[in-house]
Amino acid sequence: MRDLRDMFVIARRELLERVRSTWFVVITLLGPIGMVALVLVPALIAAQGADGAKVEIVDRTGVLAQPLFDRLTTARWKPAIVPADTPDQVEMDRIRDGKINGFLMIPGDALTGGTILYRGDNGSSQVVGITLHDSVTDLVQRQRGRQANLSPDQLDRLLAKVTVVPQHTNGKTEGASGIGSLLIAYALVFVLYTVIGTYGVGVMRSVVQEKTSRVMELMVATVKPRSLMSGKILGVGAAGLIQILVWLAMGAVTLAYRAQLLAMFGVAGGSSGLPSIAAGEIAIVAAYFVLGFFFYASMYAAVGAMVSSEQDTQQVQMPVVMVMMVGVVCLQIVSDDPRGSAAVVMTMLPFWSSMLMPMRYVLGGATLGEVAMSLAILLVSTVLIARAAAKIYRVGVLMYGKRPGFGELLRWLRY
Amino acid sequence: MSHALVVRGLVKAFGNHVAVDELSFEVPRGVVYGILGPNGAGKSTTLRMINDIFAPDAGEIVVLDGLSPGAEAAQRIGYLPEERGLYPRMKVADMIGFIGELRGLSRGDARRRAGAWLDRLGLGQWAKNKVQDLSKGMQQKVQFATALIHEPELVILDEPWSGLDPINAEVLRDVVDELRAAGRTVVFSTHQMEQAEKVVDRVCIIARGKKLLEGKLLELKHRAAADGLVSLGFGDAAARATAEPLLADPSLVSDRRAPRAGDVADCEVKLADGVTSQQLLAALVTAGARLRRFEVVVPTLHQIFVDRVGGSAAIAERRPEGS
Repeated sequence: MRDLRDMFVIARRELLERVRSTWFVVITLLGPIGMVALVLVPALIAAQGADGAKVEIVDRTGVLAQPLFDRLTTARWKPAIVPADTPDQVEMDRIRDGKINGFLMIPGDALTGGTILYRGDNGSSQVVGITLHDSVTDLVQRQRGRQANLSPDQLDRLLAKVTVVPQHTNGKTEGASGIGSLLIAYALVFVLYTVIGTYGVGVMRSVVQEKTSRVMELMVATVKPRSLMSGKILGVGAAGLIQILVWLAMGAVTLAYRAQLLAMFGVAGGSSGLPSIAAGEIAIVAAYFVLGFFFYASMYAAVGAMVSSEQDTQQVQMPVVMVMMVGVVCLQIVSDDPRGSAAVVMTMLPFWSSMLMPMRYVLGGATLGEVAMSLAILLVSTVLIARAAAKIYRVGVLMYGKRPGFGELLRWLRY
Repeated sequence: MSHALVVRGLVKAFGNHVAVDELSFEVPRGVVYGILGPNGAGKSTTLRMINDIFAPDAGEIVVLDGLSPGAEAAQRIGYLPEERGLYPRMKVADMIGFIGELRGLSRGDARRRAGAWLDRLGLGQWAKNKVQDLSKGMQQKVQFATALIHEPELVILDEPWSGLDPINAEVLRDVVDELRAAGRTVVFSTHQMEQAEKVVDRVCIIARGKKLLEGKLLELKHRAAADGLVSLGFGDAAARATAEPLLADPSLVSDRRAPRAGDVADCEVKLADGVTSQQLLAALVTAGARLRRFEVVVPTLHQIFVDRVGGSAAIAERRPEGS
């Protein structure tokens, strides 16, 4: 009971020290603004697109210039047709002088496979590329059809849209959008990875600072190292989770009111494009997120316990980062074959289960029993690692300046 | 009544350096107990073992009512570590209250007492400042408060006077006196004999991890006085010449030396074995040497310390204390 009370007293201290700092407040509040921007900016950019782009058309086929001019005008560009014999250099000069954004060079063999080249200061814009590609492709195909004496009706049938949709299913569940599931899985891994990167390191620094501020002699004399370590992991972790919860809440609100928000900026909003997730899946994702977070926080705490200064942490935390990276690299393995043996093993090991199991489950590759087992493994190993961290800390307490060797570490764990 | 602290046969080695070597002592309750020794004597190592920071290689430590060092004992012990350290970004009052809570106080109680201690130490207006905004001396006082907030029965202070100015040194001595008056036990380590002499009831002098001397300060002083050190002052040169043969007599005086700096005496003599100061006085009077001063020297703690520890042991070991 006492240990538990000590742990919470320490966790509260760690949490308050973080939550009260100006930076925490600033980042927590700025995060959602960034998230709103994440939703708004692409939509705004896409909507404005290439409106008003001044583009000149050099057409050496003699048949494409006018229809293309009409299409681009409809797309609210400002096209112009220049004589077919206009040299490239003249157009390049006009771009340099800021008179036009760019020019489209349609060579005489364009209808028989010649490369149509667009050069302009907006040439890297996706919208510009897509608009030009779609318009020109359609016009060229129609022109070819006419040359083959196809009727407009035949042409329309030939050019009718083809739709291919890949869906993911394990045969039991309704198929889900493959891209959507993968997107969610990647997003989860990304968020987990980022948060562990910041708050795991926070736990580590908190442990190291205890040594540099020399407060640890007082702390070790006052509480059990186990309470100290678990309190630290819990307190710093709680600060991270609070931040994420604030962000998620704001993010959810932003997504829910996406259309209205976009309307405020005068843009018609579509759907968010994200597939919906079931409540059960959210619970599993949350469980893995929290446990995975504390697992890596414990690993970082152990790293902090091993070193005596912040400089030393750089090298010693490398193995932890590498282990995390393996999980990221193996995302594809699990998403390609969620029921394969590699996926099963990876999602049982505590190092990667938090990153990979939610995805495997969402993709329908894991049973609830497997999920329960992997959660249990994750929980137990978190506790074990936190305890090992406490032991390392306890024995290394007054060893300033000297990092233990591997053999020495093993001896400390037996102490 | 049981002892506040019993140490028996304590041994601690770091590598092949023996920091504490078969150390034994007992601290009765309600006593101010000074562990004195030169740098590297093993004082801090001993105090750390009592606070469960190090585990002893051999020996036994019994705290208060038969407790071993550890969590249970920690609730009843206050500790000022040699490595002073606080959480720099914590508010001063919160820092003291935090340690109070971990030492077993309720949250409200810890807060109330933290405020009281800050007032007591003259830091009331700093309560809401961060620890890092305080001067070194003020931080030191905050550290004292963390050692005392839970009103521990046993207070352990490692080098409490280091870094204190004379005024704060006196504040600390007052606090120690109060603790004694309240019947609590104080164990401290120091090599500042002048400070120790003013507050200590019992001392244990150690060097190179071994105990050299232990006992009540007054008894040690009297015992040292009985060693037969006499300070002499003569009326004039003639008197001195008269006394000279007596002082040169090895059956009466075993050793003589110039008086310590600042002393008004002419010389100091050490009596030969079995000779009392009374006998020397009688001999001098009989010889007709006119005396201005005849004083049986009661040595200061500093003198006892230097005499016992001697020159060689006072040299610090290769390793700094506590490493």
